[in-house]
Amino acid sequence: MKYLVAICMMSLCCFSRIGLAEDAIKQTLPPVEKPFVAPDFTLASESGKTYHLADFRGKVVLINFWATWCPPCRREMPSMNRMWQKIKGKGVEVLAVNVGEDADTIFEFLGAYPVNFPLLMDHDGSVVKKYPVTGLPTSYIVNPQGKVVYRAVGGREWDEPALYNQLLQLRKQ
Amino acid sequence: MRRVISCCLFCLPLLQGIAHADTRLQTGIDPEATLPYWQISNRGMSLRLVQRLPDQTRGYFLARGFAEKEADLIAKSCVFQTVFKNESNKNQPSPLEYNLHDWAVSVGGRQQGLKLREDWQREWQKRKIPKAAQVAFEWSLYPTRQVYKPGDYNWGMSIFNLAPGTKFDLKVVWRQYGKRHTAIIKDMQCAADIHPEPGSVHQP
Repeated sequence: MKYLVAICMMSLCCFSRIGLAEDAIKQTLPPVEKPFVAPDFTLASESGKTYHLADFRGKVVLINFWATWCPPCRREMPSMNRMWQKIKGKGVEVLAVNVGEDADTIFEFLGAYPVNFPLLMDHDGSVVKKYPVTGLPTSYIVNPQGKVVYRAVGGREWDEPALYNQLLQLRKQ
Repeated sequence: MRRVISCCLFCLPLLQGIAHADTRLQTGIDPEATLPYWQISNRGMSLRLVQRLPDQTRGYFLARGFAEKEADLIAKSCVFQTVFKNESNKNQPSPLEYNLHDWAVSVGGRQQGLKLREDWQREWQKRKIPKAAQVAFEWSLYPTRQVYKPGDYNWGMSIFNLAPGTKFDLKVVWRQYGKRHTAIIKDMQCAADIHPEPGSVHQP
């Protein structure tokens, strides 16, 4: 009888282990129902360089809207940077657009969360308003033709191959 | 022996059934905030509401360009840190949507809606709050409407427009799996306007 109870307990553990494993593998980058042309913008980065979205036509672009006070934004930044290190120079660009904060705040943030991709500043929130964003973080994936094809609401573990392979796949379209 | 086996076989689907059937409520102290939280989950959704101390909210908005008077107004309006997730990617993927206009708080038999981004925006425009502060406020608040695909989630502040320390019930409404779902979270409480010592834990 003791053995049976133990077997039952083990089966239960197995079920919960399967559940955990599924949690780990089922990160998703959902497609947008109707792909739309990514609204163009020109923004300065915290380092003073100007970036124009249209200049990236022909590449895949991950546009991430974020703020330093937003916990999931902070949480996903290191994995986004690890992904960037893996796919840099392979036809994918990352533009992280900060909403409503100034260069000093972002500079301070970089001390704790060093990243290598450009951090752009949307001081007055006019660029984020061009996109159907309702909460931060929200990321849009733009294909080489300039159309938004995926949207992720909330943070992701970007250095998971399942996710960044979706981005790399888009280069072939 | 046969009874034990049949009992085990019966228990497994039952345990899984509980996980998928009703809305489950968990309460306790959030380890990061060291403040009380209320969390409900149901099949593919999870909603966690964590108290915010008025002083915490006051400091947050003072640092984002609000004057003392307005920061105090927000701080004393019952603010909760809110995390809403579509977790259906773990089992049966399905989009999830909500509209905060459908939610309500009940205090002593009286019902009222939440104070939403749009309500505050009108107030800030009347009070001529600086644009940068308005932008920070808008994006800090929980979105009024949202559609989450499987795996999506948001964090943000929800404002229940009640005095510090008020006890209330919250009606939560969302749509998933082609159905409208409603849950009532009973006996929630706004944080009291206290000034805690470092390292202290706050019980409701």
